[in-house]
Amino acid sequence: MDISRRDFLHIAGALGLLSATGTNLFAGESKAVKERITKLSFSDVVDFEAKGKATILHICDLHAHIKPLYWREPSTLISAKNLVGTPGFICGDSFEKHYGIESGSLDQYFDTHNNFEALAQKFGKMGGIAHMKPIIDHVKKERGEKNVLLLDSGDTWQGTAVALKTRGEAIVDAQNYLGVDVMVGHWEFTYGKERVMELIKKLNGEFISQNVIDNDPFSDEFEELIFPPYSIKEIGGAKIGIIGQSFPFTSTANPKRFTEGWSFALRHESLQEYVNELRDEKKVDCIVVLSHDGFSVDQELAKKVKGVDFILSGHTHDPSPKPIVVNDTVILISGSHGKYIGRLDLDIKDKKVAGYNFKLMPVASNLIPADKVGEQLVADAYKPFDKELNEVLGTTKGILYKRDTFYSTFDALIGQAIQEKVKSDIVFTPGYRWGTTLIPGDKILKDNVYEMTAITYPEVYTFDLKGSVIAKLMEDIADNVFNENPLLQQGGDMSRLTGATYSIKIDAKSGERISEFKIAGEPIDIKKTYRVSSWGGNLQSVGENMDKATPAVYEVVSDYIRSKKVIDISMESNVKVLDYSCGCPEKGAKC
Amino acid sequence: MERRKFIQGMVATSIIATITVPTTLLAEETQKAPAKKGPNDMSFDEAVKAITDGKGAKESDKIKLSVPEIAENGAVVPVKINVDHPMEEANYVKAIHILNKGNGNARCADVMLTPANDKGYFATRVKLSKTQEVVALVELSDGSFIQMAKSVKVTIGGCG
Repeated sequence: MDISRRDFLHIAGALGLLSATGTNLFAGESKAVKERITKLSFSDVVDFEAKGKATILHICDLHAHIKPLYWREPSTLISAKNLVGTPGFICGDSFEKHYGIESGSLDQYFDTHNNFEALAQKFGKMGGIAHMKPIIDHVKKERGEKNVLLLDSGDTWQGTAVALKTRGEAIVDAQNYLGVDVMVGHWEFTYGKERVMELIKKLNGEFISQNVIDNDPFSDEFEELIFPPYSIKEIGGAKIGIIGQSFPFTSTANPKRFTEGWSFALRHESLQEYVNELRDEKKVDCIVVLSHDGFSVDQELAKKVKGVDFILSGHTHDPSPKPIVVNDTVILISGSHGKYIGRLDLDIKDKKVAGYNFKLMPVASNLIPADKVGEQLVADAYKPFDKELNEVLGTTKGILYKRDTFYSTFDALIGQAIQEKVKSDIVFTPGYRWGTTLIPGDKILKDNVYEMTAITYPEVYTFDLKGSVIAKLMEDIADNVFNENPLLQQGGDMSRLTGATYSIKIDAKSGERISEFKIAGEPIDIKKTYRVSSWGGNLQSVGENMDKATPAVYEVVSDYIRSKKVIDISMESNVKVLDYSCGCPEKGAKC
Repeated sequence: MERRKFIQGMVATSIIATITVPTTLLAEETQKAPAKKGPNDMSFDEAVKAITDGKGAKESDKIKLSVPEIAENGAVVPVKINVDHPMEEANYVKAIHILNKGNGNARCADVMLTPANDKGYFATRVKLSKTQEVVALVELSDGSFIQMAKSVKVTIGGCG
């Protein structure tokens, strides 16, 4: 990879060549661009060409970030050849080219990793409920309270310390404050079935899912729905049918014990039945599928199911500034971590969708004065835990981020911390797509460590695995990420490895992608037994000779940072991609 | 609700069929095939040959085979088979066989039906050792065979 302007900036930044404000980043930009950036205001955020009388606001994958944060989009996002360069699998330069995004713009900051550190200083943090609320209020005022719905595609209750410590309750309070009308779920289920039901009772809105059914053959409710499959809402004189799709692979992606007796799947056949029922019997004017399937899975779903007007997607965390249209279905997704609120205006005529308009409204916290009630709500939620969460564990020299197909600095930090503590040969860290970003020089708070690790099963397991099993596992994981059929992907990134390096040919056949697998610099010996640590996944289920100690990952990482004080993680990936020379290829696998 | 209850009843009766019928059926096949291999040692192709008496089966959309794209648990993968075919005295679904292409033992279940079953339907759980195809092989009363195959992905890790 040659040194791009961005790399230069990174190096320049590290060497202190840029001024503290990062303003010389724009030295080469036209005056018009410079002025537009400096003159942005709240009205630019909410600027919208209204259509019809009904509005749906959409959020997805908040991951419990009720406070603003930095969130850097992926610098590597590669998939199977047929998917590369299509929305859902573009990033950085290919994303900018696809959507025509200008360098130095707010869009570049929100949608890509390019210029991230400098733009972070310019535009500040993203999201936070106190900054989301004024946007929602603005739209409700413009359109009339009764003509606006707020739909939430899930992954809302999990992802931060306050969520974990209140077992989701602080986030339900936040949803009630924002006015969520309908939601579906995925990580919600990791609080366990009983807690999910308790929290749904506290939620002012509805929780729907047509694809979660009872799975216990001896139960009277065998194969019956767990949640209402759909909800019908009247807004702006139109009857909207909303069908719920929770994450179809919850029971393989997360521990089964949380949802024992419930079965998850795509269930596109029953989805079609509900679409028909809403159209033919309930006489709705518009059908919306509120989904946590993932952006690419929903593009496949739209090929299988007829009669859906809109799919409001989630799970894969893609910001998609423009709608995707597959057959007659429009698919939208609104980023993650509270960075955006999607606004969809509907023009309903003769009981049909005659027109629509869509925009992702960026929750740029510096451009949106905080709502006082929201600020208070956040302060109250954090208050009992402030002392613990505000502890400064250390500082970071470089950027700590999460999103990337193979390697990310925050995960490398987690892996190092675990390896130092338990002295294992390899550490597996999950390729989740949620977390946080810290910019160079930032203090690392305990709260930040939780933002990367706040799960209800934080145990770090250490066990023996044969080299042959490790090799097989890696291929298995690669096939979940790089399968050419989106229905066989699960929407995550590759597990991160510490203590090992490998090469990967993404377009190779399943089972033949990975080569040059080395552990501690030595080629893997398939007959040898290695000591492996992992957290957040299921790998321990195939391990032997398990350590009795299973420390919580957030404590292991916090201890490590406390002991090191200054964290300096290499930006260099331990994974070599053989068939792509860049992280953000365009269509046709061009770099 | 009605449909569910009905289906549940169907499953219960069908399960009894699986338990009682196969032993005799398998014994019969063993006699027919002089090769020493028992039914549980057959490869997929050999099993199809034994069941269809060498005739083989045609791929058919009449069989609706429902399996998950990705198994929630490889040890209990739900399989549902619905054959769109009459269940009349002279023309009915005579048998539904469930096979797999990747386990050591290719045969999962053999289910005998009569017109009294009312529907060419069977649902059960099968154990799958790895990612592979599950095959529904259906015998009709005229002695012909039809089949349908679908792939099921069996995986250890998810996003983890």
